[in-house]
Amino acid sequence: MVEDIATGRDTAADESARVPETAAPIPAGARSRPLPLAAALAASAAALAACGGGGGGGGGAGLAAVAESPPATVQAGSLSALASTPTAQTYVYTQAKTDEEAARFLLQSQFSASEADIAAVRSKGYLPWLGEQVDRPAEQGGRDWILGKAANTVNADDMIWNQLMTAPDGFRKRMALVFSEIFVVSRNDIGSSWPDLMMAQYWDMLVAGVTTNFRKLLEDVTLNPAMGYYLNTRGNQKENAQGRQPDENYAREVMQLMTIGLYQLNGDGSVKTGGDGTPLDTYSLDDVTNLARVFTGYDLDIRASDVDTSAWTARPMALTAARHSVLEARFLGASVPAGTEGKAALKIALDTLFNHPNVGPFIGKQLIQRLVTSNPSPAYVKRVSDVFADNGAGVRGDMKSVFAAVLLDNEARSPAGLSDPGFGRLREPMLRFTQWGRTFGAGSTSGNWKIGDLSRPNDQLGQSPLRSPSVFNFFRPGYVPPSTSIAAARMVAPEFQLVNETSVGGYLNFMQNSVLPKSTGRDVNAAYARELALVLDPAALVQRLNLLLTANQLSAATQALIAGALANPAVSDKSTDAVKLNRVYAAVLLVMASPSYLIQK
Amino acid sequence: MYLIDPAAHTRRAFLRRSGQLAMAGTALPFALNLAAMGEAAAQAAPADDYKALVCVFLFGGNDYANTVITYDDPSYNAYSTIRVPQGAGGVAIAKDALAATLLAPTVALPDGRQYALHPSMTQLAGLFNTDGKVAVQLNVGPLVVPLTRAQYNNSNKKLYPQPPKLFSHNDQQSTWQSSSPEGSTVGWGGNVGDLVLDQRQNTNALFTCISVAGNAVFLSGDQALQYQVSTSGAVGIRSIKDGTTYGSSSVKAAMAQLAQETRGHTLENEYNKVTQRAVQAETTVTSAIQTATFATDTFGSLNTGLANQLKMVARLIRGRSTLGAKRQVFFVSMGGFDLHDNLIANQPGLMQQLSDAMAAFHRQMVAQGLADKVTAFTASDFGRTLASNGDGSDHGWGGHHFVVGGAVNGKAFYGTPQVVSINNDPKLAGYEGHVGQGRLIPTTSVDQYGATLAKWFGVPDAELPGILPNLKNFGGNFNGIEYPKNVGFMA
Repeated sequence: MVEDIATGRDTAADESARVPETAAPIPAGARSRPLPLAAALAASAAALAACGGGGGGGGGAGLAAVAESPPATVQAGSLSALASTPTAQTYVYTQAKTDEEAARFLLQSQFSASEADIAAVRSKGYLPWLGEQVDRPAEQGGRDWILGKAANTVNADDMIWNQLMTAPDGFRKRMALVFSEIFVVSRNDIGSSWPDLMMAQYWDMLVAGVTTNFRKLLEDVTLNPAMGYYLNTRGNQKENAQGRQPDENYAREVMQLMTIGLYQLNGDGSVKTGGDGTPLDTYSLDDVTNLARVFTGYDLDIRASDVDTSAWTARPMALTAARHSVLEARFLGASVPAGTEGKAALKIALDTLFNHPNVGPFIGKQLIQRLVTSNPSPAYVKRVSDVFADNGAGVRGDMKSVFAAVLLDNEARSPAGLSDPGFGRLREPMLRFTQWGRTFGAGSTSGNWKIGDLSRPNDQLGQSPLRSPSVFNFFRPGYVPPSTSIAAARMVAPEFQLVNETSVGGYLNFMQNSVLPKSTGRDVNAAYARELALVLDPAALVQRLNLLLTANQLSAATQALIAGALANPAVSDKSTDAVKLNRVYAAVLLVMASPSYLIQK
Repeated sequence: MYLIDPAAHTRRAFLRRSGQLAMAGTALPFALNLAAMGEAAAQAAPADDYKALVCVFLFGGNDYANTVITYDDPSYNAYSTIRVPQGAGGVAIAKDALAATLLAPTVALPDGRQYALHPSMTQLAGLFNTDGKVAVQLNVGPLVVPLTRAQYNNSNKKLYPQPPKLFSHNDQQSTWQSSSPEGSTVGWGGNVGDLVLDQRQNTNALFTCISVAGNAVFLSGDQALQYQVSTSGAVGIRSIKDGTTYGSSSVKAAMAQLAQETRGHTLENEYNKVTQRAVQAETTVTSAIQTATFATDTFGSLNTGLANQLKMVARLIRGRSTLGAKRQVFFVSMGGFDLHDNLIANQPGLMQQLSDAMAAFHRQMVAQGLADKVTAFTASDFGRTLASNGDGSDHGWGGHHFVVGGAVNGKAFYGTPQVVSINNDPKLAGYEGHVGQGRLIPTTSVDQYGATLAKWFGVPDAELPGILPNLKNFGGNFNGIEYPKNVGFMA
């Protein structure tokens, strides 16, 4: 079976060498010829079944049968308009032909791939599956989860681990986690009297933002009290005669990190340069100082009528007109006339940011980097930023369509990426850990998900969700690891900012000692039920882990190495549970230590 | 989207190398076979031939105005008026609180200018006044060329070039460390390490540039690598190091192979290279650092992040012969300085942590008999505004910094006292020297600051321009201000 899987992937890679940048005829005679998306949506279910099924080689135990049945639907729900965009016209990979293709898609689209997920993606197709995810009802939010517990039993770390490890809407949570790395607010430095509720409601807002418009998300972030604390809009006041100046923190970072970035961009994310070849700035110090005036006058919305003293944590910040600067503010070519009241000024400012041509490529490229690959082609960035500009229904900033454009793109879906030595990204430590929990059925004994802050690099993950060390996230999108062939190839590798001689071992030791083995002294443990059922057959065990953890991205040699290592000591059905579990732990550790797991392609 | 210009670094490396070639033509001693010279020097060197530079980076941009506080009456009054007294809800520290940390330089500053340290920095103030082992570098920051305010405002950026991305955290961190914004891959600490490697002064190249904080471009050279170690030492990877993993020696063997083998995929291969380095270095480092206790305890109960990093630096230095190191560059850091809010509430703790840890580290070097061989210096993203935004300050440019060590010409100020003004009217006094809200135009460049440290470390003059690329634009008097290539704070 090990060899079969490897052979299957090689065949898939042969099928499509490089994906053309624009819609182009697919070579005749391809075994499972993909249809362009628009054609696929228009086609009948029967026609789709004919070209979507028949993957063959990659079917894992008990999974293959599902793929042969016709797709239940070709509806894409709220994503239907996407099909009419020029971007979607280019899509040639609309259907997972194999379990590993479905798993690959799932591991980019959410935290984990279960057998049921794989079956669902194979039966529905990529876009309809995404359509279902964006249209499914909202699940319980983090704030409600905390409020549903007795006072002081759970905190923000418990909240986010519970959300990441257990929420049924994994797609939405995965995308929200991307937002949390762009619109950064960190629990480390929130400074509020209700830090846990503050972080929870901020997280809930990001989750809602996945299926909303960027313009609304931008306003929600701007007025959120957590951001108000973090970047100091809370309590920000207008200038005065003593020389007091508006706080510039949010004005600067909302431009640099959350909307337009430092350099003027073309639609494909490349930097515009002046006549002398120097990059063109997007803004100057004057733009920052002027825009800062717009964000004055805001503070927590605490009301005398509040019975619940934490009620304000769920409200946008309130504007006090007397504290708002009414000086003229000029920024980015726009102008807020002198005397403009706060809400109108905010609208001008946020509309200006939202409509800046940089937003699509600036945000779009980062979404690609967080979900698919550190070094997307300019054409990929362009296709995504085109969808940001117009979702197919004339709407700018429709985030669900933008996420779909990231995940459905040929560059994400083509097998070409699997054989490209520069494709992919380092899985973030917090994503590896979340994937472990979901894949192996982790549960919390207390129900409170006492995992805690895993930020220490020497004996933990060196990364913990919602605990960035600063508003610049755990790593920078432009980080180049010095003294590497990555730098020599003029590539970036953002997640490598967390990689050093301490953190590589810290991760492995943490997984080996504090995560994988069941421990009665620990609140969160995995069940490993399906793995234990395969424990007598190391090759089958490795095959399962390879599919679910890596979408079959371990080479045949690596699989053989792992399976061979697992053979010692021998395990029989008479072996103790401890011996059996040790084999499972070893298998999981070896896969999760493999470089071809760590780099997600 | 992100300015990455490896070509610029390649060009720097090329210029440096070609500089060496050019020197060969002039028959300077240094142009002789570097490797052979280095080996000869290493063999001839006395047993205590050792030097280290320690960069203490203050992430977030330290507020200069409340760190080295202007004290003479005219300056203090201007400061207090602009910042508004703390007692009146502002962020100006009361003058009474500064008497204990007033700095008494051997030679008084011109025009009666005086400074005191933040009231919580009693340790560094004592090390300045009593021991004379602290120098204060006034108003230092990134510059390409000396600039006046009019030149800063001039639209001809070819004639008056500025450091890119001023006021931006990540870019100015990178610029301080490497002269280039985010995406840079070569820092001046690493370049200093390159010369150590060229001269083969260390028997194990890997232990030349060591970070006890996170990854810092400062320590990456053209050849020199950053090696990273935690505050508790090198992390041994249990599944590779122990006899068995989950009861299996073959699993252990497979782990060792998987995690270190050469890979065809670029990212996979680089990840494994880090793991391989970690495995290879761990035993040596663990042996070198020995116990956490020092023969003479100078850290006492200090248990702060910076103190713990500096303890590890002190242990690595103590174990230098095991590491085979005669020249080392270290990087440690503190965070939390981006005080747009809560300046009065939060800065005292930060300043005390900095002051206590740097003083304890210096005293540890004294105890180890290495005081004049180890120099620690501070750096930060940028200074901040002098103007207050209510309870904090915003991103600025130049700021004041500290150099601590036995070889420091201490009890003295270097550079030029800054203007204490937020005046934006060019016709009035106090317009020059800042670019608005008291964001200081540096009057000493990072290149001058770095060159002074590098020269003490042993970098020949001819090599300095290759390491600090803007140094060539300094040396002399511009617009009435001295910009010496060697600022003079090192003996």
